[in-house]
Amino acid sequence: MQNRTGTSLTLNFRLLLCIPIMALTGCSGMQSALNPAGAQAGRISGLWWLFFFVLTSVYVLVLIFTIAVFFRRHRSSLPLAPELPHPPRERRAQTIVGSAVGVTVIILFVFLFAEFATGHSLQEQPEPGALQIKVTGRQWWWEVQYQDPTPSRMVTTANEIHVPVGRSVQFQLQSPDVIHSFWAPNFHGKKDLIPGHPTTLTFKATTPGTFRGQCAEYCGFQHAHMRFVIVAESTNDFQTWLEQQRQPGREPGDETEKKGKEVFMSASCVMCHTIQGTPARATVGPDLTHLGSRPFLGAGTIPNNLGHLGGWVLDPQSIKPGVHMPQNNLSPGDLRALIAYLESLK
Amino acid sequence: MTARSVIDVSRLPSTEMDHRSPIWWGNNLLLVIETTMFGLIVAAYFYFRVVDFHQWPPPRSSHNPMMLVPNPALTIPTINLAILLLSCFPAYIVDRACFRKQSVVVTLNLLITIALGMICIGLRFLEFKSLQFRWDENAYSSVVWTILGIHLAHLITGTCENALMAAWALAKGLDAKHFRDIRITTLYWFWIAGIWVLLYVMIYWFPRW
Amino acid sequence: MTRTSHLQIRDFKGDIPRADAEQLERVWSRPKGLLGWLVTTNHKDIGKRYIVTAFIFFLCGGLLAALMRLQLMKPENSFLGPDLYNQFFTVHGTTMMFLFAVPIMEGMGIYLVPLMLGTRNVPFPRMNTFGYYIYLLGGILLFVSLFLNVGPDAGWFAYVPLSGPHYSPGKRVDIWSQMITLTEIAALVGAVEIITAVFKHRAVGMSLNRIPMFVWAQVVTSFMVIFAMPSIMLASGVLAMDRLAHVNTHFFNPAEGGDALLYQHLFWFFGHPEVYIIFIPATGFVSTIVETFSRRKMFGYLGLVLSLVSTAFIGFGLWVHHMFATPVAELGQGFFTGASMLIAIPSGIQIFCWLTTLLTGKPQLKTPLLWVLGFIALFVLGGLTGIMLASVSLDLQVHDTFFVVAHFHYVLIGGAVFPLFGAFYYWFPKWTGRMLSEGLGKLNFWLFFIGFNLTFFPMHILGLHGMTRRIYTYVVESGWGNLNLLATIGAGVMALSVIVFLTNVFVSRKSGVIAGANPWGAPTLEWGTASPPPPYGFLYLPTVQSRDPLWSDKDSPVIVGLSNTKREVLNTTILDAMPEHRYELAIDSIWPFALALAAGGSFIGAVFNAWAIPIGAALSFLVLSLWFWRGNEPKFLLEGIQHTPSSPSHPSKRVLEETPA
Repeated sequence: MQNRTGTSLTLNFRLLLCIPIMALTGCSGMQSALNPAGAQAGRISGLWWLFFFVLTSVYVLVLIFTIAVFFRRHRSSLPLAPELPHPPRERRAQTIVGSAVGVTVIILFVFLFAEFATGHSLQEQPEPGALQIKVTGRQWWWEVQYQDPTPSRMVTTANEIHVPVGRSVQFQLQSPDVIHSFWAPNFHGKKDLIPGHPTTLTFKATTPGTFRGQCAEYCGFQHAHMRFVIVAESTNDFQTWLEQQRQPGREPGDETEKKGKEVFMSASCVMCHTIQGTPARATVGPDLTHLGSRPFLGAGTIPNNLGHLGGWVLDPQSIKPGVHMPQNNLSPGDLRALIAYLESLK
Repeated sequence: MTARSVIDVSRLPSTEMDHRSPIWWGNNLLLVIETTMFGLIVAAYFYFRVVDFHQWPPPRSSHNPMMLVPNPALTIPTINLAILLLSCFPAYIVDRACFRKQSVVVTLNLLITIALGMICIGLRFLEFKSLQFRWDENAYSSVVWTILGIHLAHLITGTCENALMAAWALAKGLDAKHFRDIRITTLYWFWIAGIWVLLYVMIYWFPRW
Repeated sequence: MTRTSHLQIRDFKGDIPRADAEQLERVWSRPKGLLGWLVTTNHKDIGKRYIVTAFIFFLCGGLLAALMRLQLMKPENSFLGPDLYNQFFTVHGTTMMFLFAVPIMEGMGIYLVPLMLGTRNVPFPRMNTFGYYIYLLGGILLFVSLFLNVGPDAGWFAYVPLSGPHYSPGKRVDIWSQMITLTEIAALVGAVEIITAVFKHRAVGMSLNRIPMFVWAQVVTSFMVIFAMPSIMLASGVLAMDRLAHVNTHFFNPAEGGDALLYQHLFWFFGHPEVYIIFIPATGFVSTIVETFSRRKMFGYLGLVLSLVSTAFIGFGLWVHHMFATPVAELGQGFFTGASMLIAIPSGIQIFCWLTTLLTGKPQLKTPLLWVLGFIALFVLGGLTGIMLASVSLDLQVHDTFFVVAHFHYVLIGGAVFPLFGAFYYWFPKWTGRMLSEGLGKLNFWLFFIGFNLTFFPMHILGLHGMTRRIYTYVVESGWGNLNLLATIGAGVMALSVIVFLTNVFVSRKSGVIAGANPWGAPTLEWGTASPPPPYGFLYLPTVQSRDPLWSDKDSPVIVGLSNTKREVLNTTILDAMPEHRYELAIDSIWPFALALAAGGSFIGAVFNAWAIPIGAALSFLVLSLWFWRGNEPKFLLEGIQHTPSSPSHPSKRVLEETPA
């Protein structure tokens, strides 16, 4: 079914088919179920192509018969006299229809077995050494916590997930508010986060790269802006990143950043946000300890740079209306210092 | 002049007392709908039991004194069930008397059924009280109150329908059509009693097993 | 048990007396003016109202969709903000499913089933009228709330906890719940009417194997309605209780043992049969049109009937396939995958039988058949993507993406709306007496076909490339902009097509070709009476000897002996349709309208306060008592306008008596 060497004819044909599709969609393979970067998504993609080619053939056949009606039509405008059915022709038709039904049943059984085989392989328990990540879906952002037997070595971040290539990752999924759905199409199908029904999802990345995920269950006002970034990287790179995330918030480097930290501690920021190594330890909003290293703000809504961060802090409602972060009336000087400090938190 | 063969139906009767009457079908289809509704609520009841609760009914730890196994009391519900089943007897007499077109028997037994029905309704309010839970405490209490409440609505509707029929019988007298209508309402009454047997067992006995 | 001793079959010589028709007209007509419009219990009036009202809701829902498409046509668009967009997609889905699709199929049934059965009205005419008014109230409730900017915004399915009291404060979701209650009452009423009509009011001789496919489709659908609607009424009802102040039950509150998944089970136990409730009547349209325009008896009648019945049964065993992404047991998922694939078999049998009928007949490609061919092309595609969705593994990738949006629009628009347009072109002559223009009809079809594919085919690709549902915008880097623009252009083409259709309807009503009783040379009974039919349907109730009476029957007898002063029809036995007894139908009455106001008012009041239910119930019972008490005699309100009883020496009776036995 699935051939990873890239030399099979079917694989080349599929790639050929992908090109016009990718062109139409602007080469956005980073959030695509047809661009597998993990073992599970790979198996699903293989099943997809089996279904696609068989069902396309069936469809073409049905279309041929449907179009044939056009060619058999009578052009008179008045209704023709109704005719009696011809018994030998009826029997022949019964045989053909019966065979068609038989072929349908066979195809369905093939699909059923293919699905069971794929489904069973997807349900396999993760290896004992799997990486454990707890993901909590909230309106409208993702809280990500890397688990560790030693609690002080756990890492909390938001809207960004790094995974090592070649190692199973088990996500523990839960939600305290409404139903969300965790979906990183390049790696696996989705799983719903239902309050009262914590669950897990396991996949293994096989190809490094930066990909996107998005909440896939309508969760309210800003469901559209609940995205996350998922980076698959080599084990070394992953460990480097994780270690760096374990560090407390970087101390301010210059006067501006120092002032910025004071602004943070005295404004309403501390009511909702945590910066490890400072007195700010609230968990209502995302953990900002390494905000400077994240590519996006507001769960994938806007890119993370000084300009956008300033706009976000000042008035998040104008960018993501309904988000649970209030406007902040800061003087220009305070704002400049604050965002300099926040961007320094790499 | 064209010849046309006809089927003359003028001698056929115009009222049927049983399943040949469309109103019988209409009534029974409505009962199927209501039974489906109860079936789904029963499914919800067992769903909660299996998926969401460790103990059923759940303990009332905040109550004073603490109630570890707050099974609903049996006395009033059982008396109520007995009276409801008892009311099926006059209802049955009404049903048979309708066939024989005995106005007096029908009217009398209809009034007895109504009286027993009203007692059941009154007892149902006491039954709510004897439940040990308010409706808004947890999912168990919500589903039990809802079942009792919907059945109470049926008791009230059934009794009111019987009352309407009795009023017609007393005011205008009974003809074939109205004998048939009374048969239909007694069928509804049997359903109200019958479905309650199942629901009673589920609410009051199942938690004790 | 037949009562042959009561029947006298004899020759009737003489022209059909004109007095008969005039007397029937007097007995079956409604009073003039607005009062007549309010009190009518004629199934043709009510059927037409359902169809027109539902079509208006279709236009409203379509307008909402067009606005959504305008918002989505480019990334980070600001045409609609999140609040409006969320209300629009919720009301679009709710309108299409509850206010358009089910009621229009019901309306087609209410109009056509009695005529196809050869009777004069539905069995419970006043309840039928009540059903329409309560449906109308439900629709008005929804759209008034949208105009007041308090339209529901939790999705057409309103999952908890999002739709619960904490995350959806205010009245939006309560309005949604009560609208559901009102429209589902109407659906249940229609189902009871059709089942009873099909069981008891068939023409003499119309045994089970002579029932038209359209009627089979309607009765199977009605049974599905009976078993499915209680589930959504329960789900929305207990959701309303969870939300109502001072009631505050905990069905769906996880903190108190409630369960968000239970809501999904209850919703989809209704939700999956719902789509077959929409699709199966459409198969009735297709069978009818295929038979008429192939000019031969339907191939595989038994297979088609069994396919309908098995679809209905299997359809109740599929609902968890909407929940594959939730934590339900793997073994259970496997069962639902199997069942979801199994249902492709009866659908396939139907397609094969229709194609065989067409290819072995003499197809005449009039507009109705064109729509049916479009249906085959589109529904099969949608059905095949449905087989993909039946697989848990594939579903986990494409669930809640635009792939599913594409799938269900192919099966619902392709599978139900295309046959519906075909049905409009087919039965418009019967309803109005004039033909729709064939030229405009072909333009209508091709614009719709092309526009539809332009709109929805790209969505398959968008879904596979990560575009999730119910998002009011998306970022530039996603790359979804081009295909979304294409979809919006397609929506514009579809809108153009609908304008062509409306033009066709308005022009043809005034100046279309006069149709006559049977312009298509069709076989079923409704074509055996005038176009449009008189209020009493048939001058004499027909009998049948075959499945296609207008093609095959020779000199089938007609029924005489029903009352000329009361609205009387004939009841027949269930299996063989032998005459059984005469049955008097209700006359026109104001009570259905009054009950709709009382019951409807009760549910609308329940949006705000729980006391509306007991108070409304008491009021409704009062109205029902008066309804019952006033009986079936013309009363004060209608005196002077109503029928005058005919003279005892009725001409037709005299002719009968004079004829030797």
